[in-house]
Amino acid sequence: MFADYSISKKLTWMNMLVSGVALLTACVALIGYDLVTFRDVAVSNLSTQAQIAASNSISALLFDDSVAAQKTLSALKTAPNIKSAGIYTSTGRPFAAYWRDRGGQVPQLPAVLPGETEAYRFEGNQVVLVRTILSGDKPVGIVYMQSDSQMLNARLGRYAGICAIVLVVSLLAALLVSSMFRHAVAEPIVHLAEIARAVSRDKNYSVRAAASGSGGEVTVLVNAFNEMLVQIQERDGALQKGRDELEQRVQERTAELETAKKEVEEFSSSILLAKEELERASKFKDQFLSTMSHELRTPLNAILGFSDLLPDERYGPLNERQLRYVTHIHTSGKHLLSLINDILDLSKIEAGRLELTFESVRVETSFREVLDTLRPLADKKSQTLFHRTENDFNVRADGTRFKQVLMNLVGNAIKFTPKGGRIELAARLLDGQVRVEVRDTGPGVPAEEQKRVFETFYRLRQSEKSTEGTGLGLAITQRLVELHGGELGLESQVGHGSCFYFSLPVAPAIRERRVQPTDSGLKGTEPQRILVIEDDPAAAQLIESQLTSSGYEAVVCDQPEQAAEIAARLRPSAITLDLFMKPTPGWEVLGQLKHDPRTAGIPVVVITIADSPALGAILGADEYLAKPVEKAPLLAAMERCLGTRVVQESRPILVVEDDAAALEVLAELLTNEGHTITTAADGEQARAQVEAALPKLVILDLLLPKVSGFELLAEWRAQPRTADLPVFVLTSKDLSRGEETYLRAHAEYLFHKQQPWREALVDQVRRVVRLGQMENA
Amino acid sequence: MRHTRVAGFAERTAHGSPIGRREGPWVRLVVTVLIWACLAGPIAHAQQSRPTEYQVEATYLYNFGKFVNWSATNMAAKDDSFAICVLGQDPFGAALDAVLAQQSIGGKSVVARRITKPQEALNCRILFISSSEDRQLKGVLAALDGAGILTVSDIPQFSQRGGMIEFTLEGNKVRFEVNLTTAENARLILSSELLKVAVTVRRNSQSGD
Repeated sequence: MFADYSISKKLTWMNMLVSGVALLTACVALIGYDLVTFRDVAVSNLSTQAQIAASNSISALLFDDSVAAQKTLSALKTAPNIKSAGIYTSTGRPFAAYWRDRGGQVPQLPAVLPGETEAYRFEGNQVVLVRTILSGDKPVGIVYMQSDSQMLNARLGRYAGICAIVLVVSLLAALLVSSMFRHAVAEPIVHLAEIARAVSRDKNYSVRAAASGSGGEVTVLVNAFNEMLVQIQERDGALQKGRDELEQRVQERTAELETAKKEVEEFSSSILLAKEELERASKFKDQFLSTMSHELRTPLNAILGFSDLLPDERYGPLNERQLRYVTHIHTSGKHLLSLINDILDLSKIEAGRLELTFESVRVETSFREVLDTLRPLADKKSQTLFHRTENDFNVRADGTRFKQVLMNLVGNAIKFTPKGGRIELAARLLDGQVRVEVRDTGPGVPAEEQKRVFETFYRLRQSEKSTEGTGLGLAITQRLVELHGGELGLESQVGHGSCFYFSLPVAPAIRERRVQPTDSGLKGTEPQRILVIEDDPAAAQLIESQLTSSGYEAVVCDQPEQAAEIAARLRPSAITLDLFMKPTPGWEVLGQLKHDPRTAGIPVVVITIADSPALGAILGADEYLAKPVEKAPLLAAMERCLGTRVVQESRPILVVEDDAAALEVLAELLTNEGHTITTAADGEQARAQVEAALPKLVILDLLLPKVSGFELLAEWRAQPRTADLPVFVLTSKDLSRGEETYLRAHAEYLFHKQQPWREALVDQVRRVVRLGQMENA
Repeated sequence: MRHTRVAGFAERTAHGSPIGRREGPWVRLVVTVLIWACLAGPIAHAQQSRPTEYQVEATYLYNFGKFVNWSATNMAAKDDSFAICVLGQDPFGAALDAVLAQQSIGGKSVVARRITKPQEALNCRILFISSSEDRQLKGVLAALDGAGILTVSDIPQFSQRGGMIEFTLEGNKVRFEVNLTTAENARLILSSELLKVAVTVRRNSQSGD
């Protein structure tokens, strides 16, 4: 209520309230007390008067003289406090009555209790008193008296008036006193408050509160306040100064930042420009590379193809010199091809576009394959070529690139080692990795040249004037080893040979069972070998016994994840395959077999509990048998797979190739095999020919005028009529991973012109044609 | 409260009983007194029927005893009982005995006596002189002179003829006259209370009247 009041008002109110409350309490207490006393007095007065009246009316009652009694009561006229009175006989007869004012009523009388002579009660401010009139000790009547309230009311009124006057006077006095104190107490505080308000409003800290003369808390407060103002003023000044400095500094910094930002923006825009330039350059380089690979290889393939065909006696005999020249052409062409391949490989590596597929590669197998390939070269120089492995290691590597590395190193060794030298390929465990070493008994590399041998186009000074080396082999090899996470090193002393070495991480071994490594190229040897891929031992044993009892050689492979690799090495005449195996299901194995050139031609007989021949056909199986298999159907299926070989087929093979020379090479190859061919020089022609008559096989180049090989393939696969048309893709294009995946999924087979492809192509054509005949049958 | 009561009256008036308005307080009073009267006992019961003139006079005889002081006479210590005597032909009969039965004045039991000669009245405090003694009244009074006996009679002009208290009739109401001089002569002190209710109080008696 008083919260908003000023302190002087509060003080005044406080004084007034305190004195008012005190006085009121006192007045109420006094009046209350007086009321009680007054009542007591009134009762006692009344009692006395009743007593007098009673004793004065005994005789009147005894002698039945109501006139006398009336006279007695009339004496009450002198008593102002009595309003009415009356006397009754002992029989209750009204005997005498008195009213000060005429016309009153007899009030309700209180009953006198036994043993008492008097009783009274209050009726408002009036008292009614009854007294028994005794004569001797015998009651002869009663008298009652009713007091008047007028006196009490008058008294109360007087009291109230006095109280009011006292209150007013004392409140005035309180007002006066508080106004006197206001000067002493409130005014300095009010002054202080005004100053404080002004300070906080104007932020002017230079004002000071006036000190009041009196000592005491208020003066202390004023002094403290002034002191505080002084301090605030000082701090405020310091703060302002600091803020100004800070602001200036911020402005300076902002300006600096602005400049820096502008520079950065300029720089980044220039970087953006450079980046765009780079991207354009990179794109151009990629395009250039892929164009180059295609453009260079296409004529080279013609040179190689024809120089290969020319010595064939079918085209007329060559004299010795001609034959030598053709051989030179062929050799130089091959060298050129390998040079181009190397350059493109290196460019791909440098551009970071070479993607590796890491897998577990068995070192022993790779060694054998590499040495088998290069042995003819070594034999020419009467060199001893051998390999040595401490253990049956597997390394984590890209199988193809791993072999390429070995090929390059061993090839180099053969090249630089004099006739009759020794070349050793070794693998051993070192520091938890497999260390591969290629050691020769060549002239060695001088210490000062050891680092430079890994540079591109570097050639050893003392090397023969051979045209064979490209100068790129070691550089590529080094990059490939680096991509595998290893490092290619060289230890050499002049006159004591050289040793190239690198280390690769160990990979978990692939377990093989009952598989004997065989020499490659034994396909078709009797008795015919059948690979049984089956993880259930009982089923495997049954099939094995059924086959061996019929004169076949059966080899069981119970680890489907290795099956494709084993099949590639074993080159069996046929394969039986269970579909439901773990961890690699049969259809996955089938896919691997069909995509590997070494195994794609091997007929596969699916043997499974799933009773669905359609499934087998979709997956590309040659035969389908339901489990449990009986001997007769199994043998019949085997005979169907192995029995009929190349038979003339009336439908032609369509060769789609825009390069005339390449087309002629292909045509020669296929006609030599006894196939009839038709040709198309661009995509449109190919499309029209397939629409006119369905060929038994299409050999498709990818980079064609008008409609590309990709488009054709997509079209054919989309139409039901040509969905199953066998398509071989033969290309010199460097394929991206996506393109390669697409082609592997949609084409029957994919041949790269930059790798030896002729033999494989002829093999695959044979296989497909045979399959076609079986389907027709 | 008062207002409500007024409303109640108005309602009763409408029912046609204007007297009832006056009755209220009186009825209450009667009830109160009745309660009190129960304690009062026999007197109330005895006087229920309207008393005869002699019954009233008998009561008065007894009541006079309460307002007279015999201490100045030699009567006070004379006897154990307080005798009220009737001289001559008794007009009260059993009424007097009934009134006085079990009563006492000044600690002395009240007894009634009938006498025939004034000389027999020496032990009486109050003597009622029957109208049968009218003719020899002078002699009777003379015999009693100075004996300290309160003389009462219904003989006409008794108070003037030397008697002290004379019963008179005002209508059918029994009243009395007092001759104070004769009483003072007999050294009897009569209470002012008694005098207050007397019809007449005489001071100078004319003897011989």
